[in-house]
Amino acid sequence: MSSVVLSPGMAALVLFGGFFLLLILRVPVAFALGLSALPVLLIEPRLSPMVLFNEMFKSYNSFILLAVPFFLLTANLMNVGGITDRLMRLSRALVGHFPGGLAQINVLLSVFFAGISGSSTADAASQGKLFIDAQVKEGYDLSFSIAITAVSAVLAVIIPPSILMVVWGGVISTSIGAMYLAGIVPGLLIGGAQMLTVHAYAKRRNYPVYPKAKFSEIVESASISIPALMTPVIIVGGILLGFFTATESAAVAVIYAAVLSLFFYRELTPSQLWEAIVETGRLSAIALFCVGTASVFGWLLAYYQIPKALLSNVQAWGLGVIGVGVLIAGAFLVVGCFLDAIPAIIIVGTTLQPLAESVGMHPVHFAIVGIVSLAFGLITPPYGMCLMISCAVAKVPLRFALKDTMIMLIPMLVVLCGVIVFPELALFMPRTFAPDMLK
Amino acid sequence: MQKLLDGIHRLLIWILAVTVVLLMVPVSLQIFSRFTELIPRYMWTEEMSRFMFIWMVMIGATVGVREGLHFDVDVWPSLKPRASLLLKMVSNLFVIAFAAVVLYWGIEFTQFGWNQSSELADMPMWWIFIAWPLCGALWLTFLIDGTLRDLRRLPSIS
Repeated sequence: MSSVVLSPGMAALVLFGGFFLLLILRVPVAFALGLSALPVLLIEPRLSPMVLFNEMFKSYNSFILLAVPFFLLTANLMNVGGITDRLMRLSRALVGHFPGGLAQINVLLSVFFAGISGSSTADAASQGKLFIDAQVKEGYDLSFSIAITAVSAVLAVIIPPSILMVVWGGVISTSIGAMYLAGIVPGLLIGGAQMLTVHAYAKRRNYPVYPKAKFSEIVESASISIPALMTPVIIVGGILLGFFTATESAAVAVIYAAVLSLFFYRELTPSQLWEAIVETGRLSAIALFCVGTASVFGWLLAYYQIPKALLSNVQAWGLGVIGVGVLIAGAFLVVGCFLDAIPAIIIVGTTLQPLAESVGMHPVHFAIVGIVSLAFGLITPPYGMCLMISCAVAKVPLRFALKDTMIMLIPMLVVLCGVIVFPELALFMPRTFAPDMLK
Repeated sequence: MQKLLDGIHRLLIWILAVTVVLLMVPVSLQIFSRFTELIPRYMWTEEMSRFMFIWMVMIGATVGVREGLHFDVDVWPSLKPRASLLLKMVSNLFVIAFAAVVLYWGIEFTQFGWNQSSELADMPMWWIFIAWPLCGALWLTFLIDGTLRDLRRLPSIS
């Protein structure tokens, strides 16, 4: 390590400076990460562009990341196979009569969706099509409709299963089963906060309500949704009982969704199946390609020990668990504005892990704080995937829905603070159901 | 020429779909073999799925280059169409540079894997490594084609 040509400060300048310059020039994030690593690889005599290939190969050659296409495929199958429709009917029967009925359904459907799929982007895409037009037709403001669709989509990576938790478990070696259980309560609290927000909006703006569903309608729509609602039980239960690994559980979810769509709800046509598969390939490959170049970037940061330099000051501040928790959440929230969540875990998660450990923060608590913050990054500009997708569905620029999104973010941040201050909100479930996984 | 590129594009989408489906096979086999006695517990399933996965990512990234799907960060307030197109061409030049790097050093990377074989299935590693130079070449082709088309559109946009 003594014979490096670039000082850590210089290397950081080249890496971050190059990255942000390329972003401003609208170079796609995945390529900007790879390109900004290149000068360093060429200048440093001990390194060569081979590092680029080795690190990309190593990051793709991972059994864990296979879960990403599987989770996306599950979500796409749900949408074309009629599962989403059934869950929508159930949501309507349950919360349609609350103020802002359709928007409440939007949030509750995201909660159900989150229990089956682990992908927020899939949720934003499918619910954008389902709700935004429909809400505007019923008299909701367009920016409100986009914002509530985007913010409720983030639940998909907080409530199990979750792509981010699988990746976190692979990168920072934390028990995925424990994280799944730990995500349930914070996820439901955030969903509840969103429903309260909708309530407040609806009262102020006189948004419409649906007539209250009869009890028989609730029972009927619930019974037809039961097979679909069993998915999270099968996935989480299967992992906790040791039947399959996290990646395998994602494959099980695909098979289960396919069986339900083909044989139980019987709405899947061959051309829809093909479209679902191609769309899965496209979206997961683009997201994962970025993971490869981000790994190169992260590898170089570690090579120059830049994270260590950044954190050496922090350690001296003498923060407690809460202080460090706030710091971690802040770091992920800021990074989440510019990076997709998976690369952020690879680059920032590994950086902060020693800090969390040094103050005795529980690894699962650390994971949940990190993942919830990164999930919020999905709706913060300039790079908020869910907000970008919702705006794209409505064909308006991102700025259009920004104000309502930020208003809705405030109660969600309150829940995040709650999770930081009271670790038991996250740790209670795993402590009760799988205490040996917390060790 | 356009017909050829469109043909390659369609072929890539087809391969992409096949790799997604094939990803399911080894993982399902792995689960079934654990709980039933019908099939033996193959060792190669895990490695096979990882290698299929690498090809899926690289092919999908290539389809994404052709379709302009790779996400960028939009820090500019609304630009005029002409300025927006010019900016796109500038950013394309950088992506072209990256594609050239992946092609040039990708060949060295593939040669490096020439005599290696995989740990479990004993597969030659260049079968995997060749994904990089191949996709680099395809990115270059698609990007240069796209930039040329933008260049032709430029005079007609204000």
